[in-house]
Amino acid sequence: MKQPPPWADWLLRHTLPTGVDGDTIRGDLIEELEARGPWWYWRQTLSLAIRYGWRRKHDREGHTMAFDNLWQDARYAIRGYLKAPAFTLVVLTTLALGIGASTAIFSLVNGILLRPLPFADPDRLVFADEVKTDGDHMSVSWPNFLDWRARQHVFVSLAASRSELQMLTGRDQPRRLLGRRVTGNFFSTLDVAMASGRSFSDADDRPGASPAAIVSTQFWKNDLGSAPDVLGKAIVLNGVAHTIVGVLPPDFKYGQPYSVFVPMGAVAADRDLLDRGNHEGYFGLGRLKPGVTLEAAERELRAIAADLQRQYPNTNSGVGVEAELLLSRTVSQVRLTLYVLLGAVGFLLLIACANVANLLIARGTARQHELAVRAALGGARRRLASQLLVESTIVSLAGGAIGLAVAAALLRLLVRFAPEGTPRIDDVGLDGMALLFAFAAASACGIAFGAFPAFQASSITGQQVVVRGRSGGASARSHRVRRGLMIVEVALALVLLTGAGLMMRTLQQLTRVDAGFRPDHLLTVRASLAGPHWDQRPPRAAFYDQLLTRLGAIPGVQRAGIASRLPIDGSDWNSIFIVSGKPIPPRAELPSSAFTPASTGYLEALGTRLVRGRLLDSRDTAASPSTIVVNETLARKMWPGEDPIGQQLKQGWPEWKTPWRQVVGVVADVKFEGLAEPTPMQVYLPIAQAPPSDFAIAVRTAGDPQAVRTAVEAAVHALDRDIPTYSVRTMEQLVESSTARERMSALVLVVFAAVALLLASIGLYGVVSHGVTERTHEIGVRMALGAETAHVLRLVVGHGLATTMVGIGIGLAGALALSRAIQGLLFGVSATDPLTLGAVISVLMGVAIVACYLPARRAIRLDPTLALRSE
Amino acid sequence: MAAYLGEFEQHLLLVILRLGSEAFGSNIARELETQAGRKVSRGALYATLDRLERKGLVRWKPEPGGSARGGLPRRAYAVSAGGRAALAESRDRLRRLWRGVEHLLKGPVS
Repeated sequence: MKQPPPWADWLLRHTLPTGVDGDTIRGDLIEELEARGPWWYWRQTLSLAIRYGWRRKHDREGHTMAFDNLWQDARYAIRGYLKAPAFTLVVLTTLALGIGASTAIFSLVNGILLRPLPFADPDRLVFADEVKTDGDHMSVSWPNFLDWRARQHVFVSLAASRSELQMLTGRDQPRRLLGRRVTGNFFSTLDVAMASGRSFSDADDRPGASPAAIVSTQFWKNDLGSAPDVLGKAIVLNGVAHTIVGVLPPDFKYGQPYSVFVPMGAVAADRDLLDRGNHEGYFGLGRLKPGVTLEAAERELRAIAADLQRQYPNTNSGVGVEAELLLSRTVSQVRLTLYVLLGAVGFLLLIACANVANLLIARGTARQHELAVRAALGGARRRLASQLLVESTIVSLAGGAIGLAVAAALLRLLVRFAPEGTPRIDDVGLDGMALLFAFAAASACGIAFGAFPAFQASSITGQQVVVRGRSGGASARSHRVRRGLMIVEVALALVLLTGAGLMMRTLQQLTRVDAGFRPDHLLTVRASLAGPHWDQRPPRAAFYDQLLTRLGAIPGVQRAGIASRLPIDGSDWNSIFIVSGKPIPPRAELPSSAFTPASTGYLEALGTRLVRGRLLDSRDTAASPSTIVVNETLARKMWPGEDPIGQQLKQGWPEWKTPWRQVVGVVADVKFEGLAEPTPMQVYLPIAQAPPSDFAIAVRTAGDPQAVRTAVEAAVHALDRDIPTYSVRTMEQLVESSTARERMSALVLVVFAAVALLLASIGLYGVVSHGVTERTHEIGVRMALGAETAHVLRLVVGHGLATTMVGIGIGLAGALALSRAIQGLLFGVSATDPLTLGAVISVLMGVAIVACYLPARRAIRLDPTLALRSE
Repeated sequence: MAAYLGEFEQHLLLVILRLGSEAFGSNIARELETQAGRKVSRGALYATLDRLERKGLVRWKPEPGGSARGGLPRRAYAVSAGGRAALAESRDRLRRLWRGVEHLLKGPVS
């Protein structure tokens, strides 16, 4: 005998009658299973389950009635909905939008903020960095990290790592890889085992250790052709051959999709790294010992930092520590945005529910007569109430199912257009949690708005309604409830509109920001000089010199320049400095500036405005006196009321032997860390005097900047074909991507607010229109007695507007109460911006007037005689 | 007057009569397929058989099944006297309706 599919068999046993009645049927199926196959078996099982599903319950008499009734109610409800397609469509659309949007946003929040990191015991992984007294975060100085590690007792292990671009060469195409330099215990701290090969160890961190690399599975597959003998092979990273010692498991992910990890050995003896005053981009990662809390760990790190401050006042005064859970750190930049969106979508769901409740109550009121007749004919109250509950549950479940499809589509859009660098965005998907959420939301809606009409129906005494006819006594109460719901809807819509309005104002303010340069007609390219060949300064300086000449010769290029970093993109060289002729402040209070080596022509290419003196030019060579150009902020802060030209400053600690540099020019402030960030103090120094290894090209073109893209890259490769170029973007794209998060949240909020406004106006229209129908008689009498049209109009519209105004008042209070929550997302506009609030109120009032006027117009066109006959 | 029979009910009763002592569930389904060209799900089959049983038109008794059906029993169906009467009445009703119509079907079917 062939065994039937186990689940089908289970289903049959639970639906068919017990005993010989069911056994004979199952026997028939089993007998033919061999010839007809499992697919056939399943089909027959389902057909039998459907036919016998309810009947089985006959065994237990008590349940039979309930189930049969439920089934009957459901069928009755579906027939009813099909008979009123317009009503059903509006209800389903409302629900699908509310549930769909909230599920999508919830999935986003769940995938990014809530889901644990893919490591063992992720709640014990702690991220630690250093902070200055003013609260600014910075990376950990390497010697400080070593002291933390030696002195701490709270972590099982404490690792450090930094993100480091690696240039992969020695193959067909030079390629820039996302890489991370890590201490030997990094992977053991994360508790990650290699898919093959070995992990790093402390031996890999010693100076002179042979260069090793661990690669991701994705890199092994895509770049190494899944070679089985990859271990022991070498790849050239930054010009140095690294032996591959391990391959990470396929699901490994630490923040970004890193391709390659390298140990500390190669840099362990580096002079800059060993200087306690330098913060070279490393961050601590610890695994808490069992039973140790995050707070206890932070306390201990702080105590160590305090000791270090006493021990090394020159470098460590004012340097503290902050520790937080790794997950919380990973998502810190998007947390606020996501919570605001989650709040917004919660409001949207509430509005949708209120709207559907409104519609269902209206329908329930219209059906009072039917219900009353049924009650009079002996229908049990509980039965009537349960029928209404079943109706609303069915519609909310259907709305939930459609909403799920909406959610899937919306989520796909959100992920696709998510701002670059959004953490964990690849992990986002419609998951089981979201599914559960959608249906929980749907059934909660069902029960919530099913409750009122059900309650109402159960309170009707048949006699009352049948005797009084269609306008029963309960309708006044239902009208009050509907007005209450309307007030809630208007209030919530106002809050949403305010949020959307504030984000729009933020965007508007951002576009008005003076970036300090002209972003049009600018092409930018980034590249790195990596490898032993470029270790010395002179070859780098010579390279920039030659590159500049080549760039200038490209047809269509008006002006070309090279610098270490680009505006908006952020600086990677921030340093303290001192000013000559002024008292040196305490070490913790030394001023800090962004230092940018820049070539001749760079500031001109950007279109930066010269305020005083001159720009960097051909006079500024490696051999010439040290000159600098500073920005207005620096000039104003350091030499208030004085002429900055001719003044001197020196980068680094006061005792350092760095040269004094003379200010030859002052330029306008250039936005360095994105448009929304305050402009730091800036120093531009001649690129020949401090040639960087990472550089950026900026060329100003006469025509489309994209047109010279190939020529610019070719100019780099003509000098050295092993230099990979990356991040080729126009400056306008760069500026745009810096506001991507604001644009994204503004877009989502505006869409939500528009839907909210639409729903609220539909609701308002429904309530006012229903009010007109209810008062047809009264209006008829008034008009018959000679009331003027304007008076009737005022009566009807005024009623709706009063409701709206109460809602606006409550919403305003809500918006003000919530203003603190959104403030962190705003730029250049206060969360209580009167202009935005005014505009939002006007929009809501305008929509409300239209929504009220339409039914009112119907009222004044009533023929009084018809109206009186409506009884 | 005997119970009114639907077409499917008539088919079932006829098939059970034709199969005689072989009128087991699976055989009934197969006979319906081959003779009436009618594929029917087991859900519909047993629901209809149960209905006919409730109307008293068929009855069945369990017979022990072989190892091919996991030792589960099978139903051996038989048409009751009431079932025969109902079938006969259905047939007569149809015959009356057919009378005088037969020649209309012989011409070209439009």
